[in-house]
Amino acid sequence: MAAQELNSPAYPEGDALKGQIANRHLVGTVWRSIFLGATIVAIIALVALVYNVVDESFGLVAVQNDVEPEALVRAFFNDELLNSRNTFASENDDELAAALADDPYAIGFFGYAYYRENQDSLRTLRVNGIEPNAETAENGRYLLARPLFIYTAQNIVRQNPAVSLFTNYYLTYVSQEIESVGYFPASESSIAAARQSWIQADGIEVGLGQWPVINPAGAGGQINIVGSSTVYPITQRMVDKFEAAGFAGQINIQVVGTSAGLRALCIDGTADIANASRAIKPAEFEACRSIGRLPVEMRVGTDALAVVVSRANSFLNNVTDDQLREIFTTAETWAEVDPDWPNEPIKRYIPGADSGTLDFFTEVIFDEELSNLPKDTLVEILADSISLGLGRRLEREQRFYADRLVFESQEVWDEVCAGPEPPTGCTLGERSSYNVYELVLERVVNPDVKLTWTLTDSLLRRADIELEMQRQFPNAHLQFRAWLTPDFIVSPQSSTPEFAGVRTAILGTLWVVLITIAFSFPVGVSAAIYLEEYAQDNWLNRLFQTNINNLAGVPSIIYGMLGLAIFVRALEAFTSGAVFGQVEANTTANGRTILSAGLTLGLLILPIIIINAQEAIRAVPSSLRQASYGIGATKWQTVWYHVLPNALPGILTGTILALSRAIGETAPLVVVGASTFITIDPSGPFSKFTVLPIQIYQWTSRPQAEFRNIAAAAILVLLALLLTLNATAVLLRNKYSKQLT
Amino acid sequence: MESNVLAESSRMSEMSLSANGSLRKRLRLGEIAIQAFLFVCGALSIFTTIGIVYILSAESLNFFTRPLWDNTNRRLVTDISPAVTTFEVTTSGKPIFPGQTVRIGNELMDVLAIEGNLITVERGFQGSTIETHRAGLDLFRANRVNILETITKTRWEPQLANFGIWPLLLATLMTSLIGMLVALPLGLASAIYLSEYASARARSILKPVLEVLAGVPTVVYGYFALTFMTPLLRAIFGDQVQIFNVASAGIVIGILVVPLVSSMSEDALHAVPNSLRQAAYGLGATRLETALKVVLPAALSGIAAAFVVAISRAIGETMVVAIAAGAGPRNFNIGQDPWFGYILNPFLAAETMTGHIVRISGGDLSYDSIDYNSIFAIGLALFIMTLLLNIFSQRIVRRFREVYE
Repeated sequence: MAAQELNSPAYPEGDALKGQIANRHLVGTVWRSIFLGATIVAIIALVALVYNVVDESFGLVAVQNDVEPEALVRAFFNDELLNSRNTFASENDDELAAALADDPYAIGFFGYAYYRENQDSLRTLRVNGIEPNAETAENGRYLLARPLFIYTAQNIVRQNPAVSLFTNYYLTYVSQEIESVGYFPASESSIAAARQSWIQADGIEVGLGQWPVINPAGAGGQINIVGSSTVYPITQRMVDKFEAAGFAGQINIQVVGTSAGLRALCIDGTADIANASRAIKPAEFEACRSIGRLPVEMRVGTDALAVVVSRANSFLNNVTDDQLREIFTTAETWAEVDPDWPNEPIKRYIPGADSGTLDFFTEVIFDEELSNLPKDTLVEILADSISLGLGRRLEREQRFYADRLVFESQEVWDEVCAGPEPPTGCTLGERSSYNVYELVLERVVNPDVKLTWTLTDSLLRRADIELEMQRQFPNAHLQFRAWLTPDFIVSPQSSTPEFAGVRTAILGTLWVVLITIAFSFPVGVSAAIYLEEYAQDNWLNRLFQTNINNLAGVPSIIYGMLGLAIFVRALEAFTSGAVFGQVEANTTANGRTILSAGLTLGLLILPIIIINAQEAIRAVPSSLRQASYGIGATKWQTVWYHVLPNALPGILTGTILALSRAIGETAPLVVVGASTFITIDPSGPFSKFTVLPIQIYQWTSRPQAEFRNIAAAAILVLLALLLTLNATAVLLRNKYSKQLT
Repeated sequence: MESNVLAESSRMSEMSLSANGSLRKRLRLGEIAIQAFLFVCGALSIFTTIGIVYILSAESLNFFTRPLWDNTNRRLVTDISPAVTTFEVTTSGKPIFPGQTVRIGNELMDVLAIEGNLITVERGFQGSTIETHRAGLDLFRANRVNILETITKTRWEPQLANFGIWPLLLATLMTSLIGMLVALPLGLASAIYLSEYASARARSILKPVLEVLAGVPTVVYGYFALTFMTPLLRAIFGDQVQIFNVASAGIVIGILVVPLVSSMSEDALHAVPNSLRQAAYGLGATRLETALKVVLPAALSGIAAAFVVAISRAIGETMVVAIAAGAGPRNFNIGQDPWFGYILNPFLAAETMTGHIVRISGGDLSYDSIDYNSIFAIGLALFIMTLLLNIFSQRIVRRFREVYE
């Protein structure tokens, strides 16, 4: 009894006991979650790692071209139009109208205004069934029409009374004047909407249906107007009228194009009013707002092209855009386009190349991609833009046409091809149209990635990205880019990240791994056989074993230094191929060759291969050996016919894992001396080399963001390679471990 | 009777055998050759070790013995012909001591004695050509990298002949320490979870994840440190975190080492016999108490070994620090930073030993330069550190292993 009482405080009962159990339970649960949490952190790390790489491999980029592909396409079709048979081009619209008037088989196009002046002799055609008139032009149903806008901003209207007065004046009188300039007036509702935005911008109090008094007389101030050449004539007309009405200030008008005009208004902040022949883009709107200028949009009219024929023409009323393409380029007679039409030659009357009218027409009607242009055209574009030297080089790589030369003369070509080392162009077939397109893209369009964004940003912050690009590189355009593409894998190294690839690095990796495996597999397995099957338990063999275990723990960079001192320097004659008379022409590799790298990595993974092979050999049941000895086999026969075949799956698995270690190694190869920049595929063990991880390291170390993107893409390639190898190892293990048991 | 028959038959078989040869063990040349080849392969790893030790030591020796020519700013007062062994030099300039090697032009001389401004030398030292020298020529003295200075100085500036290892060593220790702060708790906790808590199904998911993590090349971790961890740290701690910094490299090294710690510790925990756990449960211990108070102590030697190997791995880790930690030694003067606010700041850049080796050898490295020799000296220090740690970990396992029958 006494003992029980003495002990009782240590053994709680009732609620205290329950409390203690609950408490222990709680502590247990908390710690369990902590342990689980730690494990999950490892998973999160892996996810973050993969996410990060994928995030950098894809995403939006701001690309700025030297030449816009659209401009190349437009120039091509302009030429096409101007050089078609029976085509008469003139900058003088009166000439065109006069020539068209008498010929029933003639067709032409020009600004709608000139049609008006000549309606007695000419007639417009419906395009895709739509008659050109003020309504169809304004609502955009008529294909060959574009809107005319002027833009200003709320705070400009409020702060600069001259701008306020002028825009008000503009809106009031534009519809009276615009037809004389040659455009369709904006509808009354458009003008009313424009006035409404002006009132809101100005913040002025006006009664219903009332309009503030406009009296330019004596007013002063300065107005800068910048922008489209299309809107220019009507704006100039309004300025003249405004000044005639007594405006005493100064008005400057500059013609720079719509985009540049909006940039001056929204980014540089130098313009008060922008003339525009298209609506403002969201990004431009945002750019404006971000500098405190809330854009005010005012539609002032519509520009339309009229496709006209003579009144004497009786068969043509409607054309489709496809027919227009034929009529103005390839078709010789009307019947070719439509069998119902007469079999008479088409005569074409078009504005000259200097006018924006021709550009507008080709842009709308010949809306083609650069890649769809014929090969001849692409070759022509290339020939016009690159130097003769570069052209010759490209032609020697691969010729453009099988039957003729573009850059090289026939004599030189024959001589070069008969020479000791004929270039690849002598034997390869001709370049495909797509290949030429790629050359045009690379050499002429020359897209330069100015800014890049991650995948996450591209998906979630699109608006900010557009704004940022608009502000920094207004001429650039956004596009979604996958840095990891088939092209990336098959292209060689390049100093421009847009065209760089990992082909050289992949080939380098394969070569190095080949050497590594050729060296370390036989040596490693032999060593393992010796240690497991032959070695007695004496001090020497114990030293071997301890030594191998220690070598497995030596930092890989130390192996690199060993390789540098032994293979690269001491054995230079051997590793550079000099001993075999194999030194590659004009190489600076010295001993820094694939052979040195392969042997270095071979030494590095040797301990791993040995340890893994030992384990595999040890796992072979000794009953097999005994049985073999029992029927009189020698030691080597036992090993070769019984132990090795059974241990092979284990050995292979271990070797593959060791190989994937070798593929991922970077530091030793940097020390051994991988080349920083080579574009030539390695051709053998004595070539200079680069490998995937080295390439990743070098690209990562570059400051430009695009190199970071291609480094990420190269990482994906590397990880895919390793994953394939490891999956093979796992499959092998699973397959054969089932067989053995 | 029966034995007679047996003897008879055995004699008969012996006779038939001896017709082809003797029953004695035959000398099989093929077998011997094969065994010799296998032995050579087994011994090759010894040569690797010898090679490593030899190369590192020889080049390090070069590092500590090669002369660094230092202008004393003392000039010859008169012309000296090849016969002259005692000559006068100008007064001002750096001191010269007997036993030092000096150089005038291309000729080396061994200083035998000094009296005021008169120097007595052995001409044509180390086989250099004896020449006539004009008055006004500079006298160079041969300095050597002093091993004592190397382990005490706090600046590593090869171009200024400062070779103090501390900036590189401290950076290595910092990244390793930060790495261990991440890897040890995470690795041990996940090992305990996997070994003591996880269901077979959870293990079948978690183990491969750790294996994949262990198989990712270190250069990828370097990329991860630079493009993910550093921006993350900058988002949390602001601009005091430099683009290249020790903290981000350290943390990523920690993540890289987690699978190693986890799998080695788990092996150790797994080796603890189940009877111990059952006994603990029988005494009423909870799972946590069993894990922490019974299994963990029993597996302590294996876990300690895992920790030591992890430290060794972290010290030798190269690509992460080469990419993310910084591209220049963080030289310092200890007197100017009494609170170590600069010296030990994890948010600033610093080059580690391995990072330095990679940067130097990645450039245009001339074999006959102090840079070339210096990376081998650093390599030797690195090799010794990791070797000692690895041997230490094997000792721990052997010494403190609890053997359960």
